[in-house]
Amino acid sequence: MTGRVRAWFARIAGAIRPTRLDRDFSEELQSHLQLHVDDNVRAGMSPEAARRQAWIALGGIERTKESYRDRRGWPSIESMIRDARHGVRILAKSPGFSLAAIAILGLGIGANTAIFSLVNAVVIRPLPFRDASRIMRVWHTPPSELFSGRRIFAVSPANYLDWRDGNHVFERMAIYRFRRVTLTGRGEPEALITAAVSADFFQVLGVHPSLGRVFARGEDEPGRANVVILSEKMWRSRFGADPGLVGQTISLDREPHTVVGIVPERLGFPQVAQLWVPLAWTPKDREVRGNHNYLVIAKLAAGADVPRAQAEMTTISKRLEQQYPADDKGWGAFVLPLHDDLVGDVRRPLLVLLGAVAFVLLIACANLANLLLARTLARAREIAVRSALGASRTRVIQQLLLESALLGACGGAIGLIAAKFGVAAIVHSIGQRLPKIGDIDVDLRVLAFTCVIAIVTGLLAGIVPAWRITKGDVNDGLKQGQGRGGSSETGERRVRNALVAGEVALALTLLVGAGLLIRTLGQLRAVDSGIDSRNLLTMTVVVPETRYSKPEQQARFFDQALQRIRALPAVESAAAIDSLPLRGGSTQPVAIEGHPVVPLSEQPEVAVREITPAYLRAVRMRLIAGRDFTDADAADRPLVVLISTSMARRFWTDENPIGRHLTLGLMSDATRQVVGIVSDVKLLGLDERDPVPAVYVPVAQAPSVAESIVLRTAVQPDTLAPSVINAIFQVDPEQPVLDIATMDEVIGTSLSQQRFAMTLLTAFAAIALLLAAVGIYAVLSYTVRQRVREIGLRMALGAPAASVLQMILVEGMAPTLVGLAIGIVSAIALGRLLTTLIFGITARDPSTFAGVSAIVVAVGLVASLMPAYRATRVDPLEALRSE
Amino acid sequence: MGDKVDVWQGTLALMVLKTLEALGPLHGYGIARRIEQTSAHLLSVNYGTLYPALLKLEQEGYIASAWGTSENNRRAKFYRLTRAGRKKLDKEAHDWERISAIVARFLSPGEQS
Repeated sequence: MTGRVRAWFARIAGAIRPTRLDRDFSEELQSHLQLHVDDNVRAGMSPEAARRQAWIALGGIERTKESYRDRRGWPSIESMIRDARHGVRILAKSPGFSLAAIAILGLGIGANTAIFSLVNAVVIRPLPFRDASRIMRVWHTPPSELFSGRRIFAVSPANYLDWRDGNHVFERMAIYRFRRVTLTGRGEPEALITAAVSADFFQVLGVHPSLGRVFARGEDEPGRANVVILSEKMWRSRFGADPGLVGQTISLDREPHTVVGIVPERLGFPQVAQLWVPLAWTPKDREVRGNHNYLVIAKLAAGADVPRAQAEMTTISKRLEQQYPADDKGWGAFVLPLHDDLVGDVRRPLLVLLGAVAFVLLIACANLANLLLARTLARAREIAVRSALGASRTRVIQQLLLESALLGACGGAIGLIAAKFGVAAIVHSIGQRLPKIGDIDVDLRVLAFTCVIAIVTGLLAGIVPAWRITKGDVNDGLKQGQGRGGSSETGERRVRNALVAGEVALALTLLVGAGLLIRTLGQLRAVDSGIDSRNLLTMTVVVPETRYSKPEQQARFFDQALQRIRALPAVESAAAIDSLPLRGGSTQPVAIEGHPVVPLSEQPEVAVREITPAYLRAVRMRLIAGRDFTDADAADRPLVVLISTSMARRFWTDENPIGRHLTLGLMSDATRQVVGIVSDVKLLGLDERDPVPAVYVPVAQAPSVAESIVLRTAVQPDTLAPSVINAIFQVDPEQPVLDIATMDEVIGTSLSQQRFAMTLLTAFAAIALLLAAVGIYAVLSYTVRQRVREIGLRMALGAPAASVLQMILVEGMAPTLVGLAIGIVSAIALGRLLTTLIFGITARDPSTFAGVSAIVVAVGLVASLMPAYRATRVDPLEALRSE
Repeated sequence: MGDKVDVWQGTLALMVLKTLEALGPLHGYGIARRIEQTSAHLLSVNYGTLYPALLKLEQEGYIASAWGTSENNRRAKFYRLTRAGRKKLDKEAHDWERISAIVARFLSPGEQS
């Protein structure tokens, strides 16, 4: 044992001061030779023969020195340092090759790092809360016959209270909902996204404020609830990070609220909230059981787990169903970790992207392998000389792998920088659509990921060439001149072609994915939204309930605002709707006059939108039958509705619905008369398969605090925004205006998920195709150089340039076509991963496959043409003489 | 040369130690010659193996080296056994005897059953 420890130290010392020891050993060998020669002479040999015999007996001096060195130092470290130095020199000697290799790797690694940063931040990293794994989301599960296809539903107050008080599996349970609150008194009025939360909301999350305190028990009771917590971002942007703000009052919806705390940006939940206020339920609010619009979070008690929590919540729900059949029949509960709930929708698309980007890296890797192979073969002589001088096969392989690992490391460094920009671009384009939990950035885990893939890629790319080159015979290598094929020429060509075919296959798979998404977007764009979106400007106005508490006040505000907007020049028409098409909105149970009477919870659901009389004209919906709303359809007049074509078809198959009556479940019990039928509009999204039955109600007969204003303009719609805002300020100078966008932008936003996936996949596919083209080009150029003599001979014997061109093109296209075939098979196999993202086409869309194949063949041809052309320019004499 | 046997690493170390014990301080060339002579030229010492083996023994502290003058007045590096080396030799020799006895018993035809 001690012997081994001593040896270690000696070897480390040996690694540190190699030169002195080298000299020492040289002298020892010299003395060894001398002694041997002396002996030989004494034995009667001539001095000449004595010397010769001693040399032979000693064997290769350099080989002996080499194995002595291996033993002396720490072979791994010492020779690696030397190899690394040698490698850097070698790479620096051919900067063109090195830069190309590093760029290829940088591209591949950078793209991977960027996507991994995203996956890391969203899917892998735990939520930033204390005991984050114990924080759960609790949803209602709706009765399936009413909401087919909907798995989860928001929660009603009374049910929440029963859940909270009846369970033993949660330490705490909290409830919240979003609200728009208007901040006034400090600069321009601003409508802020506010979370109205129960008092122990922050205790469930375990969030501590960076300043001040969180809400205290009892502060969620009416009369005590005039307190507010600000997000750090809000505090910085609106209040200049004033540390004295805590304790001061600010005006929200014209009510004074005392600021009690500031929540750090990282810990803000829900992410979009700018403010938190207590949820001040009145006794009446607490009794609401049939209206579901709250979100619930809960923290598991020590010892409880998800299945147990689920079991207990199901038991409680069963009890509530029996206790309150009118409201709770069919309503269950669903418990899942909050993290899963937040990332559930994006996990799969993100993993698809990660897989896609891994393909890019594989291609980069195959490409580098090919470049290295070509280069290593060109270096066959150098390597043979090294072997002859005593380098063992292991050492040669080690040297080659070290070089490619060096390239990998450089590529990784470049990739890291590229990823930094890539991440910024991704966050910029879809940041707000992702549940970005904490920041999306390059953290230690991402760094480790990059290091590992950089080294592994480098090694992987180096293995093939290193293995091929060291398999050959040393003598073969020594004899081999520049440009002459060795004994394993066909084998090498096979390896190179296989790599190219692999690259083409991977690139084609990615291209098909990108093509399918491009086609999907085209299909979605071609979908008729049901309205004419050109020259439409939209915005949302939410009036504070504290100032406009009576429905008439709310209606009057919007009426006045619309009148002022209509008076603006270039405004053709202006109207209001409570929720814009494609943005979702209210659905309500409906009871049709003459149909069998069923309880509310069993009534079918339809979309309900509130509109002003001019709405149909402004968005150019068609009136199919009956009449449009008029100003005469006021609050004190008979209640009327318009219905959509699909609504008419569903509920009045063979009858004329006009003149018939219906009752909307969440509005008053009064019946409303159908006065007209209008065309169908995509209310939920362009990818909505069948039009949703819809009921339109006049705003005047069902006013609300939040309306979207739509106006048709004679000029570029966005140029009118300032004057429209001004018009609204004239009605109420403290009224903020939100979400100003043209209708085309609203449609664009509704497609952002598809567009994001499409953009990234297309970018990856483009990179992949480029890399594959480079691969084809590089391999073919190398082949031409190798076969220059043969080509020269052919031409000398009278082969026309065209036949040479053809020969090289065939050589280039063969692996391309093989790759194409493999790629088509793998694209078909992987297509189902995209099924949730594509629309209007199948994952095996023939035109996509055909188009993509054509692109690949064209790129393959273009990449082959240059080397093939160069082959036809070979001067036969030159080629034959070059030996 | 064909019927000569190459010395394996493990046994080479043992032979080096034994040679140094028998002859006292000696240079690498002398060690090699001595091993070849002792084996009646049935063993050939590969110098590519000998010097690394000497180095290994030195690193482990079983032998020490110093430059000196040979019997015919040549400068040479002399190796000598250390105290640790002597102990090592005893142990290795003992082990070797046991092992070779065991192997011999395996190979002797009479013992096979």
